Amino acid sequence: MLRADDLVFAHPGQPASYRFTLEAAPGQVTAISGASGSGKSTLLDLLAGFVHPASGRLTLDGVDLLPLAPEARPVSLLLQADNLFEHLSAEENARLGLPRGTPKAEAQERVASALAEVGLAGFAGKPAATLSGGQKQRVALARTLLRARAVLLLDEPFSALDDETRRTTRDLVGELTRRHGWHTVLVSHHADDIAALAEAHYRIVEGRLERV
Amino acid sequence: MLTLPHRPLRIAAATALTLLIAALIAAVLWAILDAATDAASGSRVDIPHLLRMTSLQAGLTMVLSLLVGTALAWALNRLRFFGRDLVVGLFAAAIVTPGMVVAFGLLSIWGRNGWINQATESLFGIRFDSPAYGLSGILLAHVVLDGAFAARILLARLDSIPQNRLKVGQSLGLSAWQRFVLIDWPALRGSLPGLGAIIFLLAFTSFPIVLLLGGGPANQTLEVAIYTAVRLDFDLVGAVRLALTQIAVCSIVILLASAFTPVPSALSRSAQPSWRDAAPVRVLQWLVLVIGTIGFALPLLSVLYDGLASGLLRVLGQASFWRATLTSLVIGASSALVTLALALILSLGRSAAHLPAARTLLGVPAYAYLAVPAVVLSLGFFLLVRALGVPGGMAAPVVVIFANSLLSLPFAIATLGPPLDAILRSRGKLIRSLGLSGWRQFAAIEYPLIGRDIGLMLALAFCFSLGDLGVIALFGTQDFQTLPLLMYRALGSYKSNDAAAIAALLLIFTIAAFVGLPRLLERIAHAPRR
Ligand SMILES: Nc1ncnc2c1ncn2[C@@H]1O[C@H](COP(=O)(O)OP(=O)(O)OP(=O)(O)O)[C@@H](O)[C@H]1O
Ligand SMILES: [Mg+2]
Repeated sequence: MLRADDLVFAHPGQPASYRFTLEAAPGQVTAISGASGSGKSTLLDLLAGFVHPASGRLTLDGVDLLPLAPEARPVSLLLQADNLFEHLSAEENARLGLPRGTPKAEAQERVASALAEVGLAGFAGKPAATLSGGQKQRVALARTLLRARAVLLLDEPFSALDDETRRTTRDLVGELTRRHGWHTVLVSHHADDIAALAEAHYRIVEGRLERV
Repeated sequence: MLTLPHRPLRIAAATALTLLIAALIAAVLWAILDAATDAASGSRVDIPHLLRMTSLQAGLTMVLSLLVGTALAWALNRLRFFGRDLVVGLFAAAIVTPGMVVAFGLLSIWGRNGWINQATESLFGIRFDSPAYGLSGILLAHVVLDGAFAARILLARLDSIPQNRLKVGQSLGLSAWQRFVLIDWPALRGSLPGLGAIIFLLAFTSFPIVLLLGGGPANQTLEVAIYTAVRLDFDLVGAVRLALTQIAVCSIVILLASAFTPVPSALSRSAQPSWRDAAPVRVLQWLVLVIGTIGFALPLLSVLYDGLASGLLRVLGQASFWRATLTSLVIGASSALVTLALALILSLGRSAAHLPAARTLLGVPAYAYLAVPAVVLSLGFFLLVRALGVPGGMAAPVVVIFANSLLSLPFAIATLGPPLDAILRSRGKLIRSLGLSGWRQFAAIEYPLIGRDIGLMLALAFCFSLGDLGVIALFGTQDFQTLPLLMYRALGSYKSNDAAAIAALLLIFTIAAFVGLPRLLERIAHAPRR
C-alpha cells in the first residue's frame, strides 16, 4: 500500500498550501482530479520526490520514502509529453529503464519482450522522433516495465492522444497495473478515463484530497 | 494564416525600406567595384596569405569559443548560488563590450609590463614573452568575448529544456555524463552551427582587437588590411580587392549558416527542479565557472582599475576628451534611434506578412551587414561620397550614424522580431475580432509588451556604435573623433595612461547603457515583465 499522511507543502512565495492524505492499493489505479492549478502535478512531484513536504509521512508498505532521492524511489513516471529522448531509438529509450551494467544480451532480450508486451514488437530500431504520440507513450510504458518499480505516476498521459489511441493506451495501463501489481496514481480531468480505469478516485479541493 | 489582422501599410513600409537598403548596399558595392576596375596600378597586398591567416584565426576562435561557451553554460545551468543572475548578466554584456577595452585589459594583465610579468619579475626575477600579442593574444581576446557570448546563448537553450524531460531523467537516475549526452546535447546541438558561424564571422571581421594585439602584417584580418591600405598606404586598389574578398568569404559563410536553424535570441528565464549532479562533477562545475568568470571579468576590472587610478584627472581636463565624449554620445544615441526606426518598420511588416516569400524578403536586410562588414561598408561609403563630390567633413557624421545603424540592424531585428511574431500568433485572432486599427494595435498591445525588448535593442545599438572603431577609423579627423578613436590615437602616441582612462570610461558608459536602457524603457512602456 502507498500511503501519504498529511503531506504539507507550499510553493515558495505562494500563499496556497497543500495538505495531502491518500492511499493507493497495489494492482489498482487511483485517480486524482481537480481544477486546473489545483495542485495535481504538485501532488505527483511530492510523491516522486521532486519537491519536499514541510511535514507528514510517505510510505510504501511501511517503508519511508521521504529520505529517498527521486532516482532512488520505487517510482516510474509517465507525463503528458517529453517522456522520451527524441534522438534515441525506441529500443534505446526503453533500455534506460534497466539498471546500468545489465549484460548486453540480457538487455536486448528484456527490451524486446517489454516492447512486445506494449504491442511495439517491430519498432525497436525506430527513432523516437518518428513515432506517433500513442507509440511514444507505449515506449515509455515499456521502459516502466523494465524499471519494475512498484509505483507508477501518470500526469495526464492520454491528453495528447486521439480518442481511439487514448482508449487502447488507457486499457494497456490498466492491464499492466493489474498484471504487475503496480500502485498506479493517475492524474486526469477526463471523467471517462477515470470511470474506465480507476478503482479509487480523489478530487483536490482547496489543497486537500477528498475521496469521491 | 487567416488569423492575422490585415496591415497593408506595415507591409508596404517594410518592403519600401528593404528595397531602399538593398539599393544603398548596391550603390556601395558599385562604388567599390567601380574603383576596382578603373584602377590600373598594381598593389602589394598578399590576399592568399591574409585569407589563410584570417581563416586559421577565425576557425580556432570558433572552436575554442564553442568549447568554452558549452562548458560555462553547462556549469551555470547546474549551479544555483547567490549572485548567479549577476554572472549571467556579465556574460550577456560580452556582446556589447568594446573589443578595444578587452584588448586593453588583456594587455594590462598579460602584456610586457602587465601584472603577470611585474609579479614574476619582482618574485623570481624573470620576465617572459608576452602571450598578449600576435595570434595567441588575438585568440585570447576573442575567446574571452565570444566564449562568454556563446555561454549566454547556450545557457538559454539549456534553461529552456522542458521540465518533464528533466523529471523523467532525474527519476531514471541518469549519470552526469548521460544527462549531458541525452538531455543537454540535443538541446545544444541545433544552435551550434549557427552560433559557430556567427562567431567565425565576428572573428573573421574583427577589427579593433586585431589592430591592437595583432602586432604587424603577419596576423592581420582583411578588415585591418583594408584600413591599413586606405589610411596608411593610400592603396585604394588593394583595399578594394580586399573588400571584395571579404564580401565573398562572408557571403559563403552566411549561406552555409542559413541552412541551419537560426540562433534564438530570447533571453528567457525558467524555474527548474533542483537536480544536482554528483559531488565530484559539481566540483568540476564550480571550477569551470570560477575560471570562466575570472577570465572574463579580470580584464574588465583591470581596465577600470588602471583607468580610474592613473590618467583620469588628466584626461578629464582635456577639451578633446569632452568633444569626443559628446560626439560619441550623440552618434550613439542617433544611431540607436535610427536603428529602432528601421528595425520596427521591418519587424512590424514582417510579422504582418502572410506569405512565406514576403517574410523571407523582409528578413534580408538583417543579413546585409554580415556580408558587408564595418570597414568594407565605410570604405564603400567613403568611395561613394567621393564619387558624388560631397565634402568628406559634411558627410562624415551622417555616414557614421547610418553605417552604425546598419551594423546593429541584425541584432535589433533578432531582438524585436520574435516577440512581435509571438504576439500576433497568440493574440492575432483577438486583435482581429476586436477590429483594432493598426495604430491601436501598436499603442495598446505591441508597444507595452515589447517595451523591454525595445530598451534592450536601443542598448545594443547604442553600445555597438559607442564601441565602434571600424567605421570611425576611416571617417575620423582631428575635429571629428569618438572615444574609441581618441583612445586608439592615445595608444599610437604612447599615452597609455590616457588610453587607460578612456577605456575605463568607455566601459562604464557601455555598462550603464546596457543595464539602464532596458529598465528605463520598461518603466516608460509600463510593460509587465514577461
Ligand atoms: N515551481 C513553482 N513555483 C511556484 N508556484 C508553482 C510552481 N509550480 C506550480 N505552482 C503553482 O501551484 C499551483 C498548482 O500547480 P500544479 O501544477 O500542481 O497544478 P495542476 O493541478 O497540475 O494544474 P493543471 O491541471 O493546469 O496541470 C498553481 O497555482 C501553480 O501556479
Ligand atoms: Mg498539471
